[in-house]
Amino acid sequence: MTPPPAEWQRLDPRMLLIYPVKELVRFLPALIALFIAGSAANGSGEWWQVLGIAVPVALGVLRYVTTGYRITSGRIELRRGLLNRHVLSTPLDRVRTVDITAPPVHRLLGLTSVRIGTGTTSGGDEDRIDLDGLPVAQARRLRADLLHLDAEESSPTPGAYAVLEFDPAWVRFAPLTSTGLVIAAGVLGVAAQGLNTVNGFERLHPERLADDAAQWSIWVAVPLALVGLAVLVSALSIGGYVVSNWGFRLTHTDAGRGGAWHLTRGLLTTRETTLDDARVRGVSVGEPLGLRLAGGGRAWAIVTGLEQDTSGSALLVPPAPRAVVHRAAGAVLGSVAPLDAALTGHGPRARTRRYTRAVGPAVLLLVLVLALVPLADAPLWAPVLVALGVPVAVALAADRTRALGHALVAGHVVVRSGSLNRRRDALETDGVIGWNLRATWFQRRAGLGTLVATTSGGRQAVTALDVPEAMAIGLAHSAHPHLIGQFLVESPAQAPTSA
Amino acid sequence: MQLREPSQRVSPKARLMWASVAAVEGLFATVALAVAGPVTGWLPVPWWAVALLALVSVAYVAVVPQWRYAVHRWEVTGTAVYTHTGWWARERRIAPMSRIQTVDHAEGAIARLFGLSTVTVTTASAAGALEIEGLDRTRALQLVDELTLMADSVPGDAT
Repeated sequence: MTPPPAEWQRLDPRMLLIYPVKELVRFLPALIALFIAGSAANGSGEWWQVLGIAVPVALGVLRYVTTGYRITSGRIELRRGLLNRHVLSTPLDRVRTVDITAPPVHRLLGLTSVRIGTGTTSGGDEDRIDLDGLPVAQARRLRADLLHLDAEESSPTPGAYAVLEFDPAWVRFAPLTSTGLVIAAGVLGVAAQGLNTVNGFERLHPERLADDAAQWSIWVAVPLALVGLAVLVSALSIGGYVVSNWGFRLTHTDAGRGGAWHLTRGLLTTRETTLDDARVRGVSVGEPLGLRLAGGGRAWAIVTGLEQDTSGSALLVPPAPRAVVHRAAGAVLGSVAPLDAALTGHGPRARTRRYTRAVGPAVLLLVLVLALVPLADAPLWAPVLVALGVPVAVALAADRTRALGHALVAGHVVVRSGSLNRRRDALETDGVIGWNLRATWFQRRAGLGTLVATTSGGRQAVTALDVPEAMAIGLAHSAHPHLIGQFLVESPAQAPTSA
Repeated sequence: MQLREPSQRVSPKARLMWASVAAVEGLFATVALAVAGPVTGWLPVPWWAVALLALVSVAYVAVVPQWRYAVHRWEVTGTAVYTHTGWWARERRIAPMSRIQTVDHAEGAIARLFGLSTVTVTTASAAGALEIEGLDRTRALQLVDELTLMADSVPGDAT
C-alpha cells in the first residue's frame, strides 16, 4: 500500500462510447414518442428531435466526467453525480469479493465492469461499488491489490492450476435441468404479451385454428405438441447453458494470504469471480432427478460474505458428469471424502414419515375423486388418472427415504435429502455458526427432529430432515463438543438406533 | 444423548401477554368475518362459521399461552446462548457467543402494558436468530448489557 493520498481516477475514456449509447437506450421510449410527435407536427419538430438526441448523449458524457474512484489510506472510494454528489467509501479489509464482468460491447473495446463486494446484505444498487469501465489489465491489477493476490498470478499463469476446464460435451446435460423450462416459460410469457399488445390473438383467428385442430386426431396432436415442446425447451436450455457457461474455468492460486479460487465463464458476457479460500466454507452438490439419471450433477460453493442475490456467481461446476463434479468439488473442499462417504440413514421412523407425507395426499385425492363418481357423476377416467399418482408417490417416497442421510466426515457436516431436487451439502464445522433443532408434535411423537446447521453463506443453513433426536444431538455434539457438551444430560440407557 | 432444558423461564406475566395478543387478534378476526359475512351480506359466510371462529379463538387464548409458557426457556452461559421456544412446533437454538452479531431489545405495544420486553440475538446467518420473548424489562436490559459485553470481548468478524 502506498502512503501518499491518491488522486481521483477516471474510468477509461472508451466509456465515452458506451455511456451515451446506454443513456439513449434508456430514453428510447421517450425518443420514439418525440419523433412521432415531431414528424406529425413537421417544421419546428426538428429542433426537438436534435434536443432529444443531445440530452441523453450529454447525460452520458456527464456521467463519465463525474464518476471517479481512488484508493487512499486503506479505503476505496467511489464518487459520482453532478448535483447530488454521492461518495461511497469502504475499508479495504472489508472487501470480500471482486467480480469482473464484460458484456459484449465492453469486450469489443477491451473494457470490463468491476463489482466490489463487501458482503453487505443491503441490496440497494446505490450501495454497490461498481466501477463500470476499466481496461482488462487494470481491472485485474485492481483485483489483485484488493484481495492481496500476487498481480502476476491473478491471471492464469504458473502458480495457478486449473481444476476444471469446460468441455463442450457437457452440453448434453443442459436439457435435463429445469433451466430450459424456466427460459421457455419466460419466452412464451413475453411472446404472449407481445402478441396481445399488437392484437395478435384476434388476427390468429382462434376459431379457424380450432377448426384446423379438429381435423387432427387427439392421438396425433397431443404427442406432436409434446415433442414440439420438448424440442423447444431443449433448444432453449442448451442455448442458455452455452451462453452462461461457455469457457467455464475454475483455477486456484496459492499467492497472497492463503490463496483464492477464480471462476471464469460466459460466451457473450464473460464473468470472472474470485473467492477467497478462507471464505469458502463448503460445497453443495445438486443432483436433480434428470441429471442424476444421466449420471450428472452440479455444484455450488457455500461462501460467506457473498451478497445473496449474487449467489449464482458461486456456481462451481455447471451441469457436468458426476466424476467431474466430484473432482472439482473435492478439490475445493480439500478432500473428496465428504462427497462420496457413506451416510448414516435416518431410520425406520423417518421412512414412515416420508411415506405418509407422499402417499397420504395421493390416496386422499383418489378417495375424494372416487367419491365424486357416484355423487357428482364425474367421468370414470378421472379416478383412473388420479390412481396413477399413487405409484408415483410411492416411488417418490422411496427415493426420498434413500436420500436421507448425514455424517461428519473430514471436518465437514454432510447432509443429503430430496428426490426431484436432491442435494448433498458439505459444510465445514468451523462454518457452522449455530444449531437449531426443530420438531413438530408429530415429529416428537416419532422421536424425530429437523436439525439445522446455520451458516452465513449459501442458503444460510444446512438442513437434515427427520433425524432421530439422539442422533441429531450426537452430530451437533461431535461437530462442536464444547458448545453442545455444556447442555447435555445422559439419557437413561437409550442407545441411538441406526439403520 | 439428550439436551437438557435451558435453565431460565420467562416471566409468568408472559402468559397474560400472549393471551391478550391472541384475544385481540381473535376478536379482530371474528368481528371482521361477522361484518364481511352475515352483517353486510358482502360474502356468503353463515353465522355458524363466525361462531366456529370465535370458539377456536377462545380455545387458543385459553390453551396456547399456558402451553407456550411451559415450553419457553432460555439460558446464557459464558460461551453460548440457548433458547427453547414454540408449542406445537418447538425449536431449540444454540448459538456460540463468538458468533453473535447484534443484540436487539424491543417492546411491543401490548408487551409494554405488562412491562415485558423481547431480546433478539442475531448471528450472521439469516436462519439463526434467537428470540427470547416475555422477559421482565429490567431483566431484559440487564441481559442486553451482559450479552453485548460478552460478544464484544470475542475477536473475529463472526462469520
